[in-house]
Amino acid sequence: MTGPTESDENGGDPTSAPGSERVGPRPDGGATEAATGEEWSRSGTALSTAVGRPLLVSVVAIVVAFLTVPVIVTFVSSFAQSAAGVVPRGFVTFEHWRQVLGFGDHGVQANAIPGLAFSLAIATGGMLLNVIIGVPVAYALARYDFYARDWVNTFAILPLVPGLILGIAFVQTYPEHGRSALGLIAGYCLLKSPYMVLTVQSSFQSMDLVRLEESARSLGASWPRAFLTIVVPHAKRGIVAGCIITWTLAAAEFNFTYMVASGSPDPFAVFLYRNISNATHLQSAAAVSVYFVIVVAAILVLQLLGKRGFSTAHQ
Amino acid sequence: MSVRKSATASVRRVATLASTTARPTTERERERRRIAVLCLPFFALAIVAGFVPLAMLVRISLAEDTIWMEGWSLEAWETLATTPEYWRVAWNTLWFVGLATGVSVALGVAVAHALEKYDLPAERVVVAAVSFPIALPGIIVAYLIVVLLGRQGLVTNAVAVATGGAPLDLASATAITGLFLGFVYSLLPRATMVLRGTYAEINAQAEEAARALGASRWRTFYHVTLPEIRPGIVAAVILTFRSGLAIFGTVLILQSHRVITLQIHNEMSVGSYNPDVAAAIGLVYVVFIVAFTFVGLRFVENDAVEI
Repeated sequence: MTGPTESDENGGDPTSAPGSERVGPRPDGGATEAATGEEWSRSGTALSTAVGRPLLVSVVAIVVAFLTVPVIVTFVSSFAQSAAGVVPRGFVTFEHWRQVLGFGDHGVQANAIPGLAFSLAIATGGMLLNVIIGVPVAYALARYDFYARDWVNTFAILPLVPGLILGIAFVQTYPEHGRSALGLIAGYCLLKSPYMVLTVQSSFQSMDLVRLEESARSLGASWPRAFLTIVVPHAKRGIVAGCIITWTLAAAEFNFTYMVASGSPDPFAVFLYRNISNATHLQSAAAVSVYFVIVVAAILVLQLLGKRGFSTAHQ
Repeated sequence: MSVRKSATASVRRVATLASTTARPTTERERERRRIAVLCLPFFALAIVAGFVPLAMLVRISLAEDTIWMEGWSLEAWETLATTPEYWRVAWNTLWFVGLATGVSVALGVAVAHALEKYDLPAERVVVAAVSFPIALPGIIVAYLIVVLLGRQGLVTNAVAVATGGAPLDLASATAITGLFLGFVYSLLPRATMVLRGTYAEINAQAEEAARALGASRWRTFYHVTLPEIRPGIVAAVILTFRSGLAIFGTVLILQSHRVITLQIHNEMSVGSYNPDVAAAIGLVYVVFIVAFTFVGLRFVENDAVEI
């Protein structure tokens, strides 16, 4: 903090100067208390005006540094040869990436490719199931007004059951199938469905659904046909965005996977866990960087689709 | 008599509703069928993958023999209610997540305020940096905290070089401060996203008027801006507190504070296998989250607490 700076936009603002003259009767006839007038007249040099902006900007700088520096350091050091010193040294090597991806001689796992492929497959399964369950319910919520709509909405958009609990309950309820790929797909789908419902819902809300549906119907389309061939294609962007978000998040869902997955092959989240808890520092960095690459790719595609990122909060 | 009559009447009404939904004759009934068909896939999955497993948790918590699910006993619930250690875990969880929520929301207000009111350089970069961690699972957050504060960590090394201390003594990733920063790392982006949405909707004219009338910046914020963003703050608190309660991966790796998720995991691990107690804790936990969310939703709009 460098103290008050003159560059602050309102440091010498002329509008605050005449405040001292405003002690007299107000234009609306009310009496202005002298004390208030005095207090307000000081606002030109008030502490918050002098300190507020530099303080907030430094808070933002610290927050951004806190959130980004470890990510950048991780990514950069995954290419380093040694992490023994203060900063990683010996660039550039792909050895850690090779070990993580299973092409190296040693590492936590001999071959990670089957596990990664398995994970990508179940994340895709969860994503497809999410399209099947998420798009219709999003349409019902956006288009119709019905009894208990608010309740359905709350259930559809809030992840009320944490992944850890769902995982435990799942394994106990379906002992034979719970640990299979099918169990993982169903769990991923349910846990990530709010993201799909919200994304698709917001794209439905930007259309005139009633007119769209009614003109299709009046031209002779049956209702299922109108829904499947007119309404759903119009929400294509939202559905694709929802697919990318649910896929990326399902690929790394840890809490549920940790409780449910049986190993052989290991899903991606368990692979990350092993690499973080057992591997050398730089090999962990490479494993985590694999996921960074996936997320960055997802964000870039989302931006092409006109969405800012993973947040479904209102812009 | 009258109770039975009204019960029969309501059963009949539900039956009529079901049959007209299945075989509609009027447009209104057809619309109802459409809504039912649209909601059906979601609820089919929710029942199979959500409600039935939760019901099973109730059965496990009440079972006498947890291997074969036989007999009935309240033992798990008694253990839970009478063992002081479980109360300590609950208290640990509440204050820790509460504090992390408070810090995250306060920082979120600061970041959202700066993004909305100031012309920051590289604003898009700031937005990207703040929203990126939403996609990171807890185990990765734990690793990032190790990168900052672990034995080879960046901050640890910097402090060691500056003060001449040993990095081993300075490492705080597996101390409670490290875990706390991990929670803030996960929660801060969510809080900021909710608050940015609120800030985008507030009326800037009232603030300008306050400033023009001579109120200082802090007074303007406290009396004009804060009341306007209060629903956003409540929404952010609901969202972050709920997300904070569900954090597990970060705690599992850093292991420095006994919170409820770690306790559930410990009850399920091989050494101390108590599925009935784990189920009971899990039920309390889910009921608490649902109740907290629904009570909180009374104070804000439903869609303000999205994700």
